[in-house]
Amino acid sequence: MLKSIIILIILSLCIGTGAWLFFIWTVKRGDFDDIEGPKYRMLDDDDDQDSQGEKHEE
Amino acid sequence: MVTADTCIHCKLPIPPGDLVVDDIDGQELHFCCHGCQGVYRVINGAGLGKFYQQRDWHQEGVPEGVFDTAFDEALLEGHVVSRNETSAEIALIIEGIRCASCVWLLEKLINKVQGVEMIRVNYGTHRAQIRFNPKETTPKEIFTSISRLGYLPHPYTSGAAQRAAAKEQRSLLIRFGTAAFLSMQVMGFSFALYGGYFHGIDPAIRETIQYFAAAVTTPVVFYSGWPFFAGAWRSIRNKAPSMDLLITLGVMTAYSYSIYSMFTGGEVYFDTAAMIITLILLGRLFEGSARNRSISGIDKLLQLAPDSANLMTGEDIQVVASTSLKPGDLILIRPGERIPVDGRIHEGKTELDEATISGEPMPVLRQQGDTVLAGTLNLSSSIQLQVKKVAAESFIARMALMVEEAQNRKAPIQSLADKVATLFVPFVTLTAAGTWLFWFLNDVQSTAALLNAVSVLIVACPCALGLATPTAVLVASGNAATRGILFRGGDILEMTARVGTIAFDKTGTLTLGKPSVEKIITAPGQSEESLLRIASQVENGSSHPIARGIIDRAKAAGIHIGPTSSVETVLGRGLRMACSEGEILVGSLAFLEECDVEIPAVESGSLTEVYVSLAGLWMGTLLIVDPLREEAASAVEQLQQIGLRTVLLTGDRLATAQEVSSKLAISDFHSNLNPADKTEWIRAHQKAGEKIMMVGDGINDAPALSLADVGCAMAGGTDIALETSDLVLTRANLGRLYEAIYIARKTLLVIKQNLFWAFAYNLITIPLAASGNLAPVWAALTMASSSVIVVSNSLRLGRVIRHTFSVAKA
Repeated sequence: MLKSIIILIILSLCIGTGAWLFFIWTVKRGDFDDIEGPKYRMLDDDDDQDSQGEKHEE
Repeated sequence: MVTADTCIHCKLPIPPGDLVVDDIDGQELHFCCHGCQGVYRVINGAGLGKFYQQRDWHQEGVPEGVFDTAFDEALLEGHVVSRNETSAEIALIIEGIRCASCVWLLEKLINKVQGVEMIRVNYGTHRAQIRFNPKETTPKEIFTSISRLGYLPHPYTSGAAQRAAAKEQRSLLIRFGTAAFLSMQVMGFSFALYGGYFHGIDPAIRETIQYFAAAVTTPVVFYSGWPFFAGAWRSIRNKAPSMDLLITLGVMTAYSYSIYSMFTGGEVYFDTAAMIITLILLGRLFEGSARNRSISGIDKLLQLAPDSANLMTGEDIQVVASTSLKPGDLILIRPGERIPVDGRIHEGKTELDEATISGEPMPVLRQQGDTVLAGTLNLSSSIQLQVKKVAAESFIARMALMVEEAQNRKAPIQSLADKVATLFVPFVTLTAAGTWLFWFLNDVQSTAALLNAVSVLIVACPCALGLATPTAVLVASGNAATRGILFRGGDILEMTARVGTIAFDKTGTLTLGKPSVEKIITAPGQSEESLLRIASQVENGSSHPIARGIIDRAKAAGIHIGPTSSVETVLGRGLRMACSEGEILVGSLAFLEECDVEIPAVESGSLTEVYVSLAGLWMGTLLIVDPLREEAASAVEQLQQIGLRTVLLTGDRLATAQEVSSKLAISDFHSNLNPADKTEWIRAHQKAGEKIMMVGDGINDAPALSLADVGCAMAGGTDIALETSDLVLTRANLGRLYEAIYIARKTLLVIKQNLFWAFAYNLITIPLAASGNLAPVWAALTMASSSVIVVSNSLRLGRVIRHTFSVAKA
């Protein structure tokens, strides 16, 4: 009983630590620095391949 | 969205004869000329046709002429950060970004420049980071491409203060993230322990769970809670109990007591310690995000003085960095350029836009021997300037210094929560001491007395304290934002509620800042229409604000403005044009009288007069005024009704100030003020204990806006005013000011209620703790219930705000 509790707790802590490290990584990467821009950038759904192709026509 | 009558590219009406029809991608499109058609094809051909759906034209861009700026290669090289041989980065600020499509256009088009690897434009701060290959392109080429798009790039190296602020925000986020993650673990363990408290638990399991709880709480207390300890230490040294001290007191007693009882088989309070820190950090995160912007206001101010200047050495003109100019140097200022340093006009005369100094939109005539200040804009003709002061001592640098000083001097607003804490901390410590004394005198066991005193300290620290202010602030600022009112932080909300005096700038704030024709006086036998036709024909093409006012009036009257032929500008006096019926003169009284036009006396009051004559005969006079905002009078009245004092602070003449203040029933006015005078007035009244809100729009208001307890700017004001202010009205409507104050006052009330509930629940548990009956569940229960009460009370505030103003609208 006690042993299984300890194993489960440690397991949950490991998973949590993984998520926590991921969070730290995103903060350090600067993902939270500009929280206004992405919601607009998301709307620009033009794909670069198309515009690359038409570049020659200029 | 093809309409037959306007050009798809420039949106101007298409004169019937000029219609150009083109078939692009199967769509029939109408253009006003082949130029627009060509531009449309280029933009569409680059795959950027979306621009036409996303653009928004209702704001004015950067002043004309600035795009001709050549970028000094050596100047830019200093800002490049080299990574390796084929990769380098440069950071810049891009002026002229108005909306999301600007960002989009810049990112797409600059990405297509040969050698540019990556560009990222920050929509909020207008900063861009560009990574490029130095072998394929140069910073100069990139800058030139950006300015060709119609934006003005400035190299930018972030200041130390700014980097520190950004770093602090990140570290707060990490501290909170860590605390939140670990608190979730602690709560899990605690639920097991609560269950054990009611139904019994195997002591071995209990002990194990307690160890785990201790292990996860320790980093929360010592890592995440570190800022509170630092704050508490400061408050002890300053002998002023603060919220930080109260938090530290509660957290540290809960934590150390729990460690102690873990080894002696008692109950633990790790969840209390962890949750207090997590919730209060959450509150700080809510409040802290919009705080760093004032620093960039100073940046923008400094950018007004151009980085480069045209130095004249003999016959040669050389582009040099402004900072290298020395007093006595001669520099050339072309029309459309801003003046880089203070100086005296050596040769030539011109009209200057001196809004940076006076806030007035009317150009001022400056000629040989006159002193001109850095940051003002040369409008009409080239002048030679003799440098008087180096860049670091010029007007703009002095203004930036004033803003910076004002921001530093501005005492941090003591929040209500801190004020309550100053009362609460001594109360709690005294109660704890009393508890210990009582049990010590009545109980034989001295440890029990100490334990009860410690429990008092643990429960006295209210978790909801951290949520009381931020949740109310979050709800209020969210609701205010939908009504076009932006508060920069919770302390601003609290301070706005306490404001007693509102100081207004005149031009652009109470008035529209756009001169318009107020009255038309015609000579006998002349019609208003013919007068307007003649005047607008001459003024057409002039960028002078008065000319625009006259043209607008003519257009509104449905007058077709005829073609302009060779208009001669007589600087500071008026315009002269020859037409088939004779010579037309438009300008000041003196100008027309010099040209022997006979003019009868005209009653004008404080209005600006524009006289018009045709072939030596007076045709009539246009009276020009900068009209008051429609809602100004009612807004001022509303503000006075809720007990606020209103004052007018203007750089304009006495007569105009007098007239405006009497029209709006403003009790107090001060005229002829320069930026330093405005701050002086505010400082003097702050010393007398008044809480002052400054409402302004111009660059000249920036120091006053940053010094005032609350600086308020409206949409349409200059970027610098917007960035140095604490409260921004995103719709240029003074009525919102009343709403802002109403919302702020309501919010303050809700914060007070929240604080009351936060403490009330903890006060209930203090007797429990003092009597030695405190179990961790009780501590957890009060914690949860006070948090719920506080959060729902804050949500109620949102309903109140929405209800009040939707009713007011109906």
